[in-house]
Amino acid sequence: MFKKKLSFVLVSLVLLLGILAACGDEGAEPTGDGEKVIKIGGLFDETGATGDVGAPYAEGERAYFEYINSKGGVNGYKVDFIGEDYAYDTSRAQQVYQSLRDRHEVAAVLGWGTADTEALRKQIINDKIPFFSASYSENLKDTGSESGYNYLTAASYSDQGRAILEWIEENHKGDSPAKVALVYHKGHPFSESPIQDIKDYATENLAGVVEITPDILIELGDTNPLTTLQTWEQNNEAPDYTIINYTWGQTRNVVRDATSLGWDDTQFMGLNWTAGEGLIPAGADNQQWVDALDGFIGVVTHAFPTEDLPGMEPIIEYLDSKGKTVEDINQKFVQGWATASIMAEAIGIAIDQTDGGDIKGTDIKAAIETIDNFDLQGLAADVSFAPDDHSGTDKIRLGQLKDGEWEIITEYFGISDK
Amino acid sequence: MKNPFVMESGNYKTSYTKDMALYRNPRVKRRMLIIVILLFLIPLFASNYVIGLATLCAIAVIGAIGLNILTGFTGQISVGVGAFLAVGGYTSAIFTTTYGLSFWISLPLAGLITAIIGGLFGIPSLRLKGLYLAIATLAAQVIILWVIGNWESVTGGGSGMVLERPSIGGFSFYDQNSYYYLCLVVAVLTTIYALNLFRTRTGRAFLAVRDRDVAAQIMGINLFSYKVMSFAISSFIVGIAGALLAHYTMIVTVELYSIQVSIQYLAMILVGGLGSVFGAILGAVFITLLPVGLGYMVEYLTMFIPDAYSLLSSFREFVFGLVLILFLVFEPGGLVNIWNNIKNYFKLWPFSTKE
Repeated sequence: MFKKKLSFVLVSLVLLLGILAACGDEGAEPTGDGEKVIKIGGLFDETGATGDVGAPYAEGERAYFEYINSKGGVNGYKVDFIGEDYAYDTSRAQQVYQSLRDRHEVAAVLGWGTADTEALRKQIINDKIPFFSASYSENLKDTGSESGYNYLTAASYSDQGRAILEWIEENHKGDSPAKVALVYHKGHPFSESPIQDIKDYATENLAGVVEITPDILIELGDTNPLTTLQTWEQNNEAPDYTIINYTWGQTRNVVRDATSLGWDDTQFMGLNWTAGEGLIPAGADNQQWVDALDGFIGVVTHAFPTEDLPGMEPIIEYLDSKGKTVEDINQKFVQGWATASIMAEAIGIAIDQTDGGDIKGTDIKAAIETIDNFDLQGLAADVSFAPDDHSGTDKIRLGQLKDGEWEIITEYFGISDK
Repeated sequence: MKNPFVMESGNYKTSYTKDMALYRNPRVKRRMLIIVILLFLIPLFASNYVIGLATLCAIAVIGAIGLNILTGFTGQISVGVGAFLAVGGYTSAIFTTTYGLSFWISLPLAGLITAIIGGLFGIPSLRLKGLYLAIATLAAQVIILWVIGNWESVTGGGSGMVLERPSIGGFSFYDQNSYYYLCLVVAVLTTIYALNLFRTRTGRAFLAVRDRDVAAQIMGINLFSYKVMSFAISSFIVGIAGALLAHYTMIVTVELYSIQVSIQYLAMILVGGLGSVFGAILGAVFITLLPVGLGYMVEYLTMFIPDAYSLLSSFREFVFGLVLILFLVFEPGGLVNIWNNIKNYFKLWPFSTKE
């Protein structure tokens, strides 16, 4: 009896929740008192598979809008930044996007992962909502019907890979061509994204200088890359360079296992999501990782908080107001901050152009496409957009791990410098 | 005249035809009609956001009914729904985008091809039962997604494929309302089909296979063909749902169809009620709206606790698990059982309110 009753109560509670969800409270938007507000949406991964880098990135975006609002907003408009965690679940991202579009009626969205960004790229064209993703997939460079409302705020993965090849060409010592192995997860939208472009670039522009070896295919979730590496080693010699495209966790596993196989002369390199403070896990007993990863070179698209740059001043000012220091944030925070500041720049232009009217996604799109050499004051490479060019920049820096600390080893450079 | 406040509370069936009727009495028929009409009227008074959610619900309903035919009615566990959705979505993408076929042809083709592949993966079900079959269908999930991820020339590999919304003549289903109507019509047709399926020989054979396959075989039911048929019918419907979802999001990538999706669909029929068409509908709507409802709740809480957002950001997974466990423990019959209990309570009131 009691059990029945309890289940009845519990289940009706859950049902009630469902009904609440269906009805929703339409009129609950924060309106503010007379001041103008522009709504920007956010899609975060704070608890999902890429939450280790997604959480600080989201915090950086939120922090920027909080900071700019405390300074009076963008040209007098307050930015209402409405974001939700979608936990790297593409179908959940679809729901969150619908809520941002229809419930909150946002003018633009700051997104996150490759899979969900690509899954939304057709819909945002239909809905006319410009989209900045943290995924720098080459696919998003299209300006027409494929991904016409996506903009790349940093060098695309393919451009990063091409830049690494150029660096290898300049720095390779010895007479034989540099043997470069590509390490990635075949079939994974993020990991596989730049591979074909890197291969094409090597054969078209660097034939005889760079030689791409057979691929090393390791899945992102494979916790024991050693077996794959051993099998690969049976048929191939250890490469001179490897280009890895994973996030922190898998990158360090691969490098550790390759080092344990005695690939001492191999220069391990990775694209931007391999670089950053978290590549070496925190903790007192991380010396084995410091040793294994020593000399690793990663693409650095955004500045480290410890660098002395003019762009860091507002960040430090914001952190001071929260009682924090640069020690509490990392490079992904800066990346989120910089991305949000590009959006704010576009909002500012759109406000000027619409003369204080209602700002729509198309206005922001037009504004983004007028951005020319927007100076991020060292936080990242300057960005420019045009109606026929949605990639903000192709410039990157390279950073190298030395005794567990990242050291910047190049200035900003890209293949367009050639 | 009949007292309008008294409900019929007995079984008045006097013939087999009555026993097999789709609607038990005219009242049920009227009620169903009213519900369907109300569903069609939603766009008149609801916001775009609600319609978007309703579209996702309708697609989930189609998929959940498909899975329930296999798991709930035939008793064959499948954890490969995600992959079968992918087959439907990709088939439609390949036919419409690569070969330029019309959506109206590729939709049934997507169902057919998914049915063939589903039937193929259903073959081991003759020898495998329960957990073993679950693992075999898990293999289907992994194999299909691996093939899709690696067969670049056809599926586009990791970057997926782009689709268009369907159109008839000059009218295309780009806005929310029209696509909602399309999905609703398919969902209603699926429901009618599934309800009728279990009035036929095939449907009753499925039930017999579920209840005890040895007994079913003794009664002359060919286990192999009916099990494979169940896989095929179920996959056909799941494939249709997959194609509708693909044309809704206008893109297909491997990541849309992970094992997580399979588990979500299993949760739908579990929470809704195994072996009930109405249960599948309730479960699909419930599981689709659960995260949305929790989002509202967290938003509401942030008014009182400013830090609620960061505290509760992983709340959703927690509640999802909790709901599943609570249902398994307290109401294995699912939402549909709760619904029936409530209905019976009012039917019998005030004579017998104790169960």
